[in-house]
Amino acid sequence: MLIIEWLLLIFLIVCAVAVSITKNLLNAVIIFMSYSLVMSVIWVLLRSPDLAITEAAVGAGVTSVLFFLALRRIGQMQRDNDKNKKISEASKN
Amino acid sequence: MIRIIIGGFFLLSGLFALGIATLGMYRYSTMLNRVHVAAKCDTLGALFMLIGLIIFSGINFFSLKLFMVLLFLWLSNPVASHLIARAEVRTNTNLHEVCDFIEQENLKDDVNN
Amino acid sequence: MNDGLKKFLLDFYNWVTGNGARTENEDAMTELPPVLPFTMEPDKIQSRFHEKTLQERRKDWINLHGLSVFSILYRSFSIITCVVIVGLLLITVSELPPFGDENNPANNEVIDRYIKLGGNETGAQNIVAGMILDYRAFDTFGESAVLFTGAVSVLMILSAARRKNDEPKNKLHSGFNDRNFLKRAPPIHELKDDDAILRGVASLSIPAIILMGCVVIINGHLTPGGGFSGGAVLSTALILCANAYGFKKVHEFFNERTYIFSSSSALLIYALSKGYSFFTGANHIESGIPIGTIGNIFSAGLILPLNICVGIIVAGTLYGVYALFSEGEI
Repeated sequence: MLIIEWLLLIFLIVCAVAVSITKNLLNAVIIFMSYSLVMSVIWVLLRSPDLAITEAAVGAGVTSVLFFLALRRIGQMQRDNDKNKKISEASKN
Repeated sequence: MIRIIIGGFFLLSGLFALGIATLGMYRYSTMLNRVHVAAKCDTLGALFMLIGLIIFSGINFFSLKLFMVLLFLWLSNPVASHLIARAEVRTNTNLHEVCDFIEQENLKDDVNN
Repeated sequence: MNDGLKKFLLDFYNWVTGNGARTENEDAMTELPPVLPFTMEPDKIQSRFHEKTLQERRKDWINLHGLSVFSILYRSFSIITCVVIVGLLLITVSELPPFGDENNPANNEVIDRYIKLGGNETGAQNIVAGMILDYRAFDTFGESAVLFTGAVSVLMILSAARRKNDEPKNKLHSGFNDRNFLKRAPPIHELKDDDAILRGVASLSIPAIILMGCVVIINGHLTPGGGFSGGAVLSTALILCANAYGFKKVHEFFNERTYIFSSSSALLIYALSKGYSFFTGANHIESGIPIGTIGNIFSAGLILPLNICVGIIVAGTLYGVYALFSEGEI
């Protein structure tokens, strides 16, 4: 159980660094979502299920949805079609 | 003893399915392929893992809870993947260059014919 | 009126309006001074080009290298700040007492009292619920009020933008309306309400989610959970309903008026039942509700109604913020 705890903590730190490094806002929100999910598992391991339920419902669910909506409102969720073209050309070749 | 063997077999097969899902995420490059791999392998892996855990714990209240978790996962995971794939089909403008697919209207015509 | 005064008045009027004849002095003043030709010896000009002053050299150097030096300085300062902060935090962590030790300063008489007497004093089997809704009830009241205030301010901002955009546009200010972006989200994914799969699964799972939320709220004083978690679960049920059946379906039973009425009445009940501790400090006033036997659902005095109040506020607020951001109205 100690190994799992250490792995989760390392994943938490990696997520926290990756959120601040990532340029794409959508990816940052998704990484933050996984951060909240791992955090709720750690709350369960620390024997505080109250916080775990709240973290899973609010941190991973509602907050991410609100972030997505905010991104959509400021127009940051546009699909970049150049990347798709590149992928399609690569798949053709 | 035999319970541990059967449960371990289910857990290992669940791990195998989840590992294939992870491999597929790296292997494929387009979105629809990735959604396909993630949805199917995650659902199957969750089924195997939870059945293994139910066999480990025997018939009691805890395994009933696990069964409810399984039911909810089987309800929610395919629907979420379906919604993601539908959003991709509706928003991607050059999807025809990546793959061949039938539009919904054409699909209705095909069914009628 | 004599002639002198008349002439003076006429002159004065002409002087004020500027139509009168100009005096000689004024004409002389309008002549510009003669422009002197620019004279400088050629060797002096050469020396100017060849020998730059110290200030000019500094300006040239800044133009050439200033940005790169600034970026290097910026990076190094940020790295130094990061390292210093991380080092301070790590030193602090190393000075902390070991985790789970018996003699830690956190294990003082407060925790003793909560564990030994909390059950008998509050009647809650879940000690956390007893703490946050009985001993520290005023803090929870502040949390709920903050949530409600946030939702109401979002409602004010977005509805003001909506009303402004509904008006016929003023020609002068049409370009300067900085709230135009709030009018409607860019149509990335126009969701049609025709998805049979989502509707079928939603009709199965929405009752289960609502039941789960109600169980978490009502059993708040017996099992982990409580008003906040249960309210969040209820709000996810509302959001799923809005996604599957459209916002019009939700408007039939949950609109702006319902939200304001339910949330403010729940807040009022909370404030009336626990607001007195703002005046009396930590003193406890008997509520009159018997504590009952520990472990029953109808026990623990005021904790059950307060949990329900918090759940109503949280569910309404989270769904309201979602609806405001995606549709522009609750």
